[in-house]
Amino acid sequence: MSAAGERSVEAVGLDAPRAAVPKLLAPSPHHALFWLCAVLLGAALVVGLRLIGNEYGYFAGYFILQYIVLSSAWNILGGYAGYVNFGAAGFMAAGAYTAIALRKAFGLDLLPGIVAAGFVAGLLGLGTGYLTLRLRGVFFSIATLCLAVVLQTLIVNWDYVGGSRGAYIVRPREVPPFVSYGEYMFVVMLVLAILAVGISRTVELSRLGRGLQAIRDNERAAEAVGVPTLRLKLIATTLCGALMGVAGAPLPYYSGYLNPEAAFSLAYAVNAIAMPLIGGAGSWLGPVIGAVLLGGLQQAATVTISSALNLWIVGWMLVIFVALFPRGIIGWFRRRA
Amino acid sequence: MDPFTRRQFGRLSLAAAIAGAGQVAGVFPALAQGANPIRIGFAMALSGGLAGNGRATLLAYQIWAQEVNAKGGILGRPVQLVFYDDQTQPGLVPGIYTKLLDVDRVDIVTSPYATAMIAPAMPVVMQRNVTFLTIFGAGVNEAFKYDRHFNMNVVGDDMKETYAAGYFEVAAMLPTPPRSIAIAAADNEFAQKAGESARYHARKRGIRVVYDRSYPPSTVDFTPIIRAMQSARPDLVFIASYPPDSAGMVRAANELRFTPAIFGGGMVGTQLASFQSQFGPLLNNLVTWDVYSPEPTMNFPGVAAFQAKYRELAPREQTDLLGNYIPPYAYGQMQALEQTLTRVGKIDQAAMAADMHAQEFDTIVGKFRFSALGEWAEARNLYVQFQGITDNDLERYKRPGAKVILAPSAYKSGALRTPYGAAG
Repeated sequence: MSAAGERSVEAVGLDAPRAAVPKLLAPSPHHALFWLCAVLLGAALVVGLRLIGNEYGYFAGYFILQYIVLSSAWNILGGYAGYVNFGAAGFMAAGAYTAIALRKAFGLDLLPGIVAAGFVAGLLGLGTGYLTLRLRGVFFSIATLCLAVVLQTLIVNWDYVGGSRGAYIVRPREVPPFVSYGEYMFVVMLVLAILAVGISRTVELSRLGRGLQAIRDNERAAEAVGVPTLRLKLIATTLCGALMGVAGAPLPYYSGYLNPEAAFSLAYAVNAIAMPLIGGAGSWLGPVIGAVLLGGLQQAATVTISSALNLWIVGWMLVIFVALFPRGIIGWFRRRA
Repeated sequence: MDPFTRRQFGRLSLAAAIAGAGQVAGVFPALAQGANPIRIGFAMALSGGLAGNGRATLLAYQIWAQEVNAKGGILGRPVQLVFYDDQTQPGLVPGIYTKLLDVDRVDIVTSPYATAMIAPAMPVVMQRNVTFLTIFGAGVNEAFKYDRHFNMNVVGDDMKETYAAGYFEVAAMLPTPPRSIAIAAADNEFAQKAGESARYHARKRGIRVVYDRSYPPSTVDFTPIIRAMQSARPDLVFIASYPPDSAGMVRAANELRFTPAIFGGGMVGTQLASFQSQFGPLLNNLVTWDVYSPEPTMNFPGVAAFQAKYRELAPREQTDLLGNYIPPYAYGQMQALEQTLTRVGKIDQAAMAADMHAQEFDTIVGKFRFSALGEWAEARNLYVQFQGITDNDLERYKRPGAKVILAPSAYKSGALRTPYGAAG
């Protein structure tokens, strides 16, 4: 929030925001400490999994990390700004198909694919934000859902990237210096997850984050006190889209084959919303907790309960969390504190 | 082979389930180690869009495992199935296969059902040089060219050449040579390849394509498609569709009284009991692609006994009641594995792959060999015609006469009736 905006809040005598301002400004962000801890934690994970020496750990880890990226991205728009995005699968697929298209056209590998996916999905987010500026609440959500449907129709009819038949990516068996392709994919997604969480945290603790929170609480009041709502929403939709695209870029390399049904799977859209809600939307740590908890539970249920019962259990977990912890786990701890 | 009662099977299944669950959860590791079973691992769609066929496939595998164990196992070791539900989500498949190979340390892996689920498992399997038996994939190995991949499907190596060939053989039986064809294909891999094959054969035979469109898988109203075909007045109609679309097409064609000389094509779903029970007489004279029909020409040794067991268990397992589609092939796939293991005499992935490339297999779905790409060396796409259907009773589909085989000629069991829509 701008200084002018803060003065305006005081001028109109809005007690709650006035009380909140010093609290928001008070704590030091400790950015350097965060990045250091994140890198150390990441390194510990890589070393730990290599010591265990089991390839499955990389795949299970990849599954959870991709949801950390996705739910952190969703949280920037949905958690901070209060704009619920149902089109996560669409942005993710945009990233995945950008990587496929670049590989087919120029033979580019995963890493340039990720950069391009972030750029393309970011542009898509910017365009979506611009086109849906006047929409709020459920209307915005429906618009994002429609975007996923439009994108899926486009991909189904785009034969160059496989169309309805899907596209194969024959990946190399080894990627030195990594011990296996699984470890390589894990490390790539780990780096992306650290970046996504770091960006999410930086946004939350910056003026941008406070502006988005003002939009979430009352967009008209925020506009009235000088918050540049248009600019902030465009930045949020662009960041959200770019990070979701980045999460999708490794998907064809991970599975070796991607068809529109898999890329636009409803599971991505549902999990991208459910994980921040369970962990605590509006906080950078909430999506991480939600993704580890729900993603870990889904992965564990898949490889232990070999029947449709796993969906039933995961469904009930969602219902219980939403009923008992409506503000997520972070919110529950904060209330107790 | 001795028949067994439902109660006996229930007890054995319960014991197998407890042992299997114990193995997965690590509750009874000592028990499992003591028996030293041959562990066969796979992911299967037990929930989600492909669960119908996934559950039928699993039941066929379980029947096979029970029978093999009752005979003393393979190489003196019992077989144990270790399986997980892939929820029809391709994203879960690489993790499941890594767990099967690295944590559960299964001896052999077979595939999930079908192409979209098989493909994500391929890189994992290839990395470990494991022999991979797949079920009802469509050209997966064209991209990977893995020499230890073996696909149980009648389609063969070159789907464009083989898939619709039988349909045009049937068309040649018409009293007046057909001059035009309408083609409609769903926007998915299988249907697009099937449509491509129909186009190729139509061109080859000088038959004019008067309608050629794809439709999105989300289509719910097929009346406009059928009406457009009707206005083009084709002699032949080739539709490549998945179960919900097949149902919509048949319903729309009957509502609009569309009566081309031949109506059908690669309509997946028409092979299933639920479809046959739902549509009954509306299916009369429909000519469609199939993999099995209980006609005298396909009465391979063992298939009737297998189907009797399957049909006894299917209602309880809530899967396809007839088992005329995937189940015999799933059972046959496991028979092929059994024959390879018996010949090789040990679990040696390279030797097993070499054996599967070199030898012929004799199963309840007939004899076959694998090609270099691991597909059936000789394709066997059946084109059957529903005849004499008077009601929705499923019993008739257990006997010859309801689904008459028209092509290929080696399996022909009746004569073509025409046009579609005439009383059967």
